[in-house]
Amino acid sequence: MAKEHDRARTFVSRLLANPALGPLTPLQREEQIIQFLHVNAAALAPTLSTPGFFPGASWSQSLSLLLSALVEEVDVTLMPRLEEILARMQFGFVALLRPQSSGGERVRDQIREYLRGVLRRMDARRVMTGPLAAVSYGFVDRYCDQMWARKGYSHFELTKVQRLRLGREEIKAMIEATLLLKPIVCSGSSATAGLAEHASGVVQAQYAERVVAAAREALSLAPEELIRSAANASVSFQENRYIEATARMAAILSWRCRSYQPNMRADRGADSPDKSWLSVARRNYRFYGFDVKMIDELYSIAAENGW
Amino acid sequence: MEHRQSFWENLVVVAIALVLIQTFLDDFAVVAGWAWAPREVLLYVGLALDVFFSVEFLTRLYFSFIRRRTGIYFWHERGWIDLLASLPLVLLSSGPAALAVWSGSTIALGRASLLNVLKVVKAIRIARVLRLLRLLKVFARIRNTDSTMAQRHVAKVATLSVTVLIATVMLLGIVFSVFDVPSLETAYQSRITTLLSTVEADLDRGAPIDAGELAARESSLLAVQREGRTVFSRFDSDYYARQVGPNDYGFAERGDVRLFFDLRPVNRDQSRSNLIYFAIIVVTIGSLLFAYSPHFALTVTDPLHVMTRGITEANYSLEVKVPRLYRDDEVFELARAYNEHYLPLKDRRSAASADGFDLSMDDVQGLLDD
Repeated sequence: MAKEHDRARTFVSRLLANPALGPLTPLQREEQIIQFLHVNAAALAPTLSTPGFFPGASWSQSLSLLLSALVEEVDVTLMPRLEEILARMQFGFVALLRPQSSGGERVRDQIREYLRGVLRRMDARRVMTGPLAAVSYGFVDRYCDQMWARKGYSHFELTKVQRLRLGREEIKAMIEATLLLKPIVCSGSSATAGLAEHASGVVQAQYAERVVAAAREALSLAPEELIRSAANASVSFQENRYIEATARMAAILSWRCRSYQPNMRADRGADSPDKSWLSVARRNYRFYGFDVKMIDELYSIAAENGW
Repeated sequence: MEHRQSFWENLVVVAIALVLIQTFLDDFAVVAGWAWAPREVLLYVGLALDVFFSVEFLTRLYFSFIRRRTGIYFWHERGWIDLLASLPLVLLSSGPAALAVWSGSTIALGRASLLNVLKVVKAIRIARVLRLLRLLKVFARIRNTDSTMAQRHVAKVATLSVTVLIATVMLLGIVFSVFDVPSLETAYQSRITTLLSTVEADLDRGAPIDAGELAARESSLLAVQREGRTVFSRFDSDYYARQVGPNDYGFAERGDVRLFFDLRPVNRDQSRSNLIYFAIIVVTIGSLLFAYSPHFALTVTDPLHVMTRGITEANYSLEVKVPRLYRDDEVFELARAYNEHYLPLKDRRSAASADGFDLSMDDVQGLLDD
């Protein structure tokens, strides 16, 4: 069995090293490989059951071996990446939201532990793909700085409607924390069923309420606003018009970055990647449950900046 | 084999570049009144290039024939341009001119009457316009866009414009020649004919030929010989050796009198016209290459390329940029449908099925083989 496990790790590590996946984040690579294995099952199964790989194993056994090896291999780069991200994030906003709270450092540690736990679940890893890319590639900084310069709809929603009495940097940190906690929606026994409701990953508002209640214990030091924002990042704005602006922003950025390719260049005659994605998102806003006015503003920002 | 083919293709490109320089300098030298020596070099270079392109054409024709694609080569791959820009030039332009120089006199032209000499000279100089067709060969080798469709369309427009221009110039030249439409040449011919009539009349009357008086009347009269002895020369021998080539003069005989005429003003006039055609064609092709070709790519091939990628590649979802100015073009109407209907649909489908990835079975074939 150990020999087969080693073979599986060798196989997936070589898959992960494929240059086509080079520029992607660890979870994007993982998702690509999982899709690849599923789509090419018929072609891979005969070879993988040969003595060179997993002799006599059925496809589901082979797949199970490969997936567990894949998670192990991806975690080798994913966990340090998460550590790095959490280490550079400023949790000062926690104290500003809850003056009596126990401080940012302890919240950081709790989030770290929470993520380590929840990311053992495949559905949570899938949800985390977009947020990890969004935070890794600085999407929050990129768009929030422009939103502050414009002082338009999104800025108003964050500061006046959501009433965040925070500075720009603190709000950016809160959106990043919301993104990182987006897999919160997978916590709880019925989480997968909730996710499966909609192809776009949208869950019902009532379900999100249950998630918030369940997460309070695991994230006891985190402010309620952050937990609620993270849970509502998977709720459709069409269903609940009172969703926090940070949650709406996180929902858009996590979907944007799920398929983000940092080295992608627009062909001659094509619009830039962000502008293209946001233009499509404007037409699919109901499907994904996005706030169309926020999308419009992000689209204008992307168009003005050639993103 | 590929290296050898690439060598010959590069050699042809170099030859085309040379022929452009040579074509320009050949006419410029005449207009600028260059000495004969450099013009002689240009003449031989021109002949060598014409022979080179004739051999190239015959070789291509031969290989297309043995591959049973002569028709494709001749009509679709512009073999007819290769033909027009090679063999007729050897036979009508550089060949006769070089032959005249090799023979050391104006034998090729001199046996005919002066009128015929002028007609032959005119035909030769008009034929030189065909050289400009070689610019199209350069065009065919410039690839400023990846799209074969753009290349073909722009090449077609270029071929049509240049061919129409050259054919019109040649046709009008022939028509004007047949109907004796007044020109510098006809005026020149008329003056010389009058002069020869005077000489003839003097000879009939037995009156002496006053060469000085003839030279004063006709500025193109270079020299007069009587009974093989030069009785008048406008310039000294050194000047003739330095400045005047075999194609620069013609002669006519009346009795024992031989008169030499300067053809350089006529040649200069034709070369000036050739330079104008050259400039028109260079500017036409340049504008097609640098103005029309990008426009064609922007409004036709680029949007098609983006849509093709969007339809065939699961991970590609960039929108087609629709310029406001051309938004009502059929291509951009299609592009708008692609942007507004196809891409959102594809995106929803992709979210539902989670397809679209960068790995293929080809990427892992090595792993499986190991």
